[in-house]
Amino acid sequence: MDYKKCASEILTGIGGKDNLASAAHCATRLRLVIADNSKVKKTLIEGVDGVKGVFEAAGQLQIIIGTGTVNKVYDEFIALAGVEAASKEDVKAAAAAQAPLYKRAIKTFGDVFVPIIPAIVATGLLNGLLGGLSKAFPDMAGSYLFTLLDMFSNTALVFLPILIAVSAAKIFGGNIYLGGVIGMIMIHPNLVNAWSVGSGAETETLWSWFGLWNIQNTGYQGHVIPVVIAVLIMCTIEKKLHKIVPETFDLFVTPLLSVLITGFLTLTLIGPVFSQLESWVLSFAKMLIAVPFGIGAFIMGGVYAPTVVAGVHHMYNAIELAMLADNGMNTWMPIATAANVAQGAAALAVAFKTRNHKIKNMALPASLSAFMGITEPAIFGVNVRYGKPLIAGMAGGACGAAVASLMHVYATSNGVTGIFGFLITTESFVGYLLTFAVAAAVAFVLSYIMYKDAEPAAAVSGGSTAASPAPEAPVVAAADDKTYDDNCVYSPLKGKAIAMTEVPDDTFAAEVLGLGAAVEPSEGKVVAPADGEVSTLFETKHAIGLTLDNGMEMLIHIGINTVELGGEGFTAHIEDGARFKRGQTLITFDTELIKSKGYNTTTPVIITNPDDYAEVKKAADGNVDFLDKLIETKK
Amino acid sequence: MKTFSYTIKDAVGIHARPAGLLAKLAKTFSSTVTLEKDGKSVNVTKLMMLMGMGIKCGDTVNFTVEGEDEEAAAKAVEDFMAANL
Repeated sequence: MDYKKCASEILTGIGGKDNLASAAHCATRLRLVIADNSKVKKTLIEGVDGVKGVFEAAGQLQIIIGTGTVNKVYDEFIALAGVEAASKEDVKAAAAAQAPLYKRAIKTFGDVFVPIIPAIVATGLLNGLLGGLSKAFPDMAGSYLFTLLDMFSNTALVFLPILIAVSAAKIFGGNIYLGGVIGMIMIHPNLVNAWSVGSGAETETLWSWFGLWNIQNTGYQGHVIPVVIAVLIMCTIEKKLHKIVPETFDLFVTPLLSVLITGFLTLTLIGPVFSQLESWVLSFAKMLIAVPFGIGAFIMGGVYAPTVVAGVHHMYNAIELAMLADNGMNTWMPIATAANVAQGAAALAVAFKTRNHKIKNMALPASLSAFMGITEPAIFGVNVRYGKPLIAGMAGGACGAAVASLMHVYATSNGVTGIFGFLITTESFVGYLLTFAVAAAVAFVLSYIMYKDAEPAAAVSGGSTAASPAPEAPVVAAADDKTYDDNCVYSPLKGKAIAMTEVPDDTFAAEVLGLGAAVEPSEGKVVAPADGEVSTLFETKHAIGLTLDNGMEMLIHIGINTVELGGEGFTAHIEDGARFKRGQTLITFDTELIKSKGYNTTTPVIITNPDDYAEVKKAADGNVDFLDKLIETKK
Repeated sequence: MKTFSYTIKDAVGIHARPAGLLAKLAKTFSSTVTLEKDGKSVNVTKLMMLMGMGIKCGDTVNFTVEGEDEEAAAKAVEDFMAANL
């Protein structure tokens, strides 16, 4: 595309530079303020190569050009027109969108963890409960029922790396099954279980870097960060390979190489670096708790949660076992309890304070689980994501741990923390109770004061001036719970994803209208796949054309031949030309009614400007929920 | 430049499918095919805008075809309209 030519033709179309008051641009559009609108020849501008649409809104002439090109056209345009760049605010906004790396990393972490929280909560609660019961009724441990329940209860934690790997692969855009394989490699039964290693099991050398650095055959049970890093590497390799490997070989070469390279790197490089880190943490922890007057415990109680984040906490088993062997007094466990309970209380405060139902529904069970000693849901699902609750929890943990140390609280066994910890601290009941209470109270109060619900994501620079979305339109899935990639289409429907070629209609199947995918809806609702505006709302409401802020033009066509229904069974929740936010309901429809009239409800989701993309492919199989990834594109 | 008018006979007008087919047809020619109705005009290769015209049964639309292969293009579009709309 010739940016200069495009810019000069637009300038001619608006009636020359004398007719231009100011110029700015957002992610997709040139936004021009025109002196005399009657001099603007819209049709002329529409015909310019590179222009995807022209309309007037909020006193501006908006010319849709597209992501990545609009800025170049803009540069040429202001050079030609001789105006100053109008939008310092735009530049500022863009700078703010580029959040610091650690913030994005934490967010990614949360995104990875959120989908698997139900699995961890279910087994985590059972785990805590059983641990407590077996301490209260030692006879129980031998029963068949206990054996069964015990197995159920630790499954999600035993196989945690696999769950994390699958979820991470989905977030990083790789093949989730390949991601799963990486997770499985890391806890392969042929490797020695990390928890057993923590309790003193022998390991063998698996690989040696030049005979200098021996890699032990330790598994990665209980690990989090190495798994996420490994899967990130795998997805990066996989995506690169998809690009460079010829299609004929892609199907077997890419998965093979992705797994091979990542597996090797993981077990010989990423993993060992973490193992080394863990042993340092362990020595550091041992050193810390030897510091008297509760100072060491105070620090340890504070940094305990971050070590859970880093996934090195399973090493602490070794400390507890050593203490018990030494004098039968496990003074580590009260510190762990303080830290865990504090994280739970911090999450509980979030649950009480938030007005967001999704956060509340997650924070409550997560905090309950933390009180029973399983903190991952609270830490990853809530506290790390919102930052401040984690700090509140750390402060609570520190205070609680200091109390424990000063009051010489000790446990006579190990394996449980939190509420059930009372069962193994019968000799220092009051001290343990105080530890518990101080940790929880400090964390709860601080977290309650510090936590604030995030403001609804402010409108991105694109189109903030245009009409705001209709207030009655409900939004599904709080948009801040997922990361969205501009190169993907997130499903506007819930149902079964099928290929466009499988749509039971020749025109759609032949991809005459454009490329994309289709959904056989299980629910009669269409939501916005991304922010943008309605370019065409059909009078019969069976189809809607969208122009998204990322430059994508889309047609969502509900059902086949449903134009013949003349609007019956369809309700629009937005007006033609109005702006919408991702997740906002656009149209609802009565699937039963439509089917009863003899129409198929398969709904093609079509990118109608496929020429702007090098590749458009379906990215979902089987059932998709609202805003699950449906289509991937490459420019 | 070739111009002609056409009155839509199809009950539901230019909806998604015929619009898609028309846009596809127009793209096969180098000429520009413009459709005009009530003072609004649109390049028919621009699918979204074409659908946005909301052309219904009984509406009369005016086509303008301009370019090297305008004869063939005009004929093809006219035949398409007669056959489908």
